[in-house]
Amino acid sequence: MSVLHVVFKVDGAEYALPASDVLQMESYTGATPVPGAPSHVAGLVQVRGRVIPVVDARARFGLPPGQRSLDTRVVVGQLGNRIVGLLVDSAREVLKLDPAQVKPPPPLVVEGARGFVKAVAQVGPRLVMLIDFPRVIGEETPNGDGQR
Amino acid sequence: MTASVDLADFLPAYLAEAEELLGAAQRHLLAVEASVRRGLAHPRAVRELFRALHTIKGLSAMVDVESIVSIAHWMETSLRHADRAGGRLPEASVEPLMEGLREIEHRVRQLASGKPATPVPAGLLERLEALEAAALGTGPAKPAPVTLELDATLAARLSAAEREQLTAGVASGRRAVRLDFVPGAERAASGITINSVREHVAKLGETVKVLPLSGPAAGGGSLTFALLLLTDAPDAALLEAAGGPPASVRSLVSEQAPAPAGAPAMPSEPELESVAARMEDEPEEQRRGGGTLRVEVSRLDEALERLAALVVNRSRLTRAVAELTAAGAPTRELTTILQENGRQLRDMRAAIIRLRMVKVADVLERLPLLVRGLRRSTGKAVRLELEVGDAELDKAVADRLLPALVHLVRNAVDHALESPEERLAVGKPEEGVVRLACHGGASGLLELSVTDDGRGVDATAVAARAGVPVPSTADGLLDVLCRPGFSTRDAANATSGRGMGMDIVRRIAVDQLGGELRLETRLGVGTTFHLRVPLTITLLDALVFECAGLRYAVAVGSVEELIDVDVARLVRPAGASGVTLVERRGSAVPLLALERLLERGRPEGRSGAGAKALIVRQRGEPVAFAVDRLLGQQEIVLRPLEDPLVRVSGVVGATDLGDGQPTLVLDLAALGAARGGAVRRPEPRQGRERAP
Repeated sequence: MSVLHVVFKVDGAEYALPASDVLQMESYTGATPVPGAPSHVAGLVQVRGRVIPVVDARARFGLPPGQRSLDTRVVVGQLGNRIVGLLVDSAREVLKLDPAQVKPPPPLVVEGARGFVKAVAQVGPRLVMLIDFPRVIGEETPNGDGQR
Repeated sequence: MTASVDLADFLPAYLAEAEELLGAAQRHLLAVEASVRRGLAHPRAVRELFRALHTIKGLSAMVDVESIVSIAHWMETSLRHADRAGGRLPEASVEPLMEGLREIEHRVRQLASGKPATPVPAGLLERLEALEAAALGTGPAKPAPVTLELDATLAARLSAAEREQLTAGVASGRRAVRLDFVPGAERAASGITINSVREHVAKLGETVKVLPLSGPAAGGGSLTFALLLLTDAPDAALLEAAGGPPASVRSLVSEQAPAPAGAPAMPSEPELESVAARMEDEPEEQRRGGGTLRVEVSRLDEALERLAALVVNRSRLTRAVAELTAAGAPTRELTTILQENGRQLRDMRAAIIRLRMVKVADVLERLPLLVRGLRRSTGKAVRLELEVGDAELDKAVADRLLPALVHLVRNAVDHALESPEERLAVGKPEEGVVRLACHGGASGLLELSVTDDGRGVDATAVAARAGVPVPSTADGLLDVLCRPGFSTRDAANATSGRGMGMDIVRRIAVDQLGGELRLETRLGVGTTFHLRVPLTITLLDALVFECAGLRYAVAVGSVEELIDVDVARLVRPAGASGVTLVERRGSAVPLLALERLLERGRPEGRSGAGAKALIVRQRGEPVAFAVDRLLGQQEIVLRPLEDPLVRVSGVVGATDLGDGQPTLVLDLAALGAARGGAVRRPEPRQGRERAP
């Protein structure tokens, strides 16, 4: 059964997340930096009354910082109880991907991408990389150190 | 399976109620135990315990948790015997009952964390069942039967236990009567309602059951409440309690019935079954009389969220009006309305915050049980003294604080208190004392202290263990104790008398709650930990300031003083990179550049000339944090940052100052402590910040 995916671009390459993991898409007007947060965290934004951290996909993928433009988007994703934004160059498309289109990534990609890419889908002439969202966000769920 | 859907819907309410009932059950069981140890009966506590268990059983059956139902059932059974024996519990029963409660609690926690409850542990039911066998035959003989005269409607709705209660009452020489009360608008207007009637009647006798009966009633009404009572009061008094006619009184026993001669005296209070049954059968109307409502915290959070949005909107409105005023528009009335609106919002917010307050005493009800367990596991004689009064605390703070207090109490018993032999040897009473006191202090802070009369913290031994110089002050000693990973059990037991996981306590009290932790200790005499935490962390009076182009907020309570920084009078000690000294009333205070702690470079390379500084106490010492500009003081709604990506030391949360962008709320002392030592090189982050 084909699954709906949200497709976004980072530094010219196309990536995808299952639409079921994506809550919404927001345009980006800047984030409030948090001192001491991991370097791939762009900062905090407010989405519908909730304050969420935003991970900069370029910083996370080890790419040079990009220019912010009108296309820049925050893909708001849900991971269990966590809601985390992913800052991407643009996000304009949704695609239905058939499992048959989706292949494990070539070994070289696996090494190069530090596990961020978990599969590659062939869509006509295009290659869309399915990202491992928990890995890209890069932190485990909060541990139970006395905080609820 | 549809049942699972229903279960999921019902579970949060179930868990909340089960928690509360467990708390009550533990309290009552401890009371029962205390009586048992002194060889006394405690009928009230036995009944309350039974009632809590009975409700737990009923609720658990509804969510289909068979293991809890069975445990509760067998506990009930043994309590029933204790009740028949006049509230006297055999000493051997206490431990299996404790175990049963623990097992129930364990299963409730499993359900709370989304796991299925495990089956009943082997042997527990047998142990509980054995209690029943042991207790059999202790109940008093049944009284001679008395015939009740009830019409069919009433008879059908009366449980066997209630009949028994009535007949037993008659057997012991009281009158069983039916008092019919007919409510009406007129009566309600003069304050006579079923609730007031119940209250009055309760003073005249024992209410066995209240049955609302619909249908034509005396005086033209359509509803009658039939109150079945055991009483010694004359009819006239009862009639008066029910507001006079159309109320009526009828005896439930025909006067000709032979008086039961020499009937054995019965306990005048109702039997357990009827106590529990009555609670369930009471019409909703009466139960609501208590005026307590259980609400999930998330709903209160939601209300606060909505209100925060209103507050933000109001500041936008204020700005818009200010612009209109500046443009010369007649805005006098608008401004008045805005002021009124602001006041209403503040009141509303205070009201919602009040909804979130819980009694500190309720939060701490788990501690006696903890100490009891420790008494058994350590073999130490210890008494827990609680002096908590009626202070209240935000639920969110309470939830975080409890683990820290549990930790301190556990440490005190585990490590600080000496064994009974040791205590006797040094001339102390055999029984150690751990004392928890709490006062709602001024300025929105709660002060708590955990004191023991144990061996005290040996600074020399602690320092040796940690491999550091012996600290000269209590704060210094606390620092060593709070080192993450400090203290092994052996160090704590043999020499220090303290220090298991104190870093956790400090993290909760200081980092998470923005409070304070202090230590007072005397070798051989004992130790006190003082905690000061804010009553609520949701609503703060905050100072808002600007630093390196961004706005930040800090809690007003944490700032000791605001000073102007005169650059000409700054002193830069050689070698101390980044730290300068500023003079304040004759003493030198270190001045930290906040922008560096915040990892913010100054693109234009301008200096902080003419800046302000906030003075904050960090471990008791004043430290000044230089900022660019103060923007004012306002009440803010704090949103804690919970995601691990942004849970960092020195940042307590974020707030919305009205521009839709999160503003960081800082804890300057924690920020300075966490990052003051090694100020990191500011990372370039251009293109990712919002404009100031």
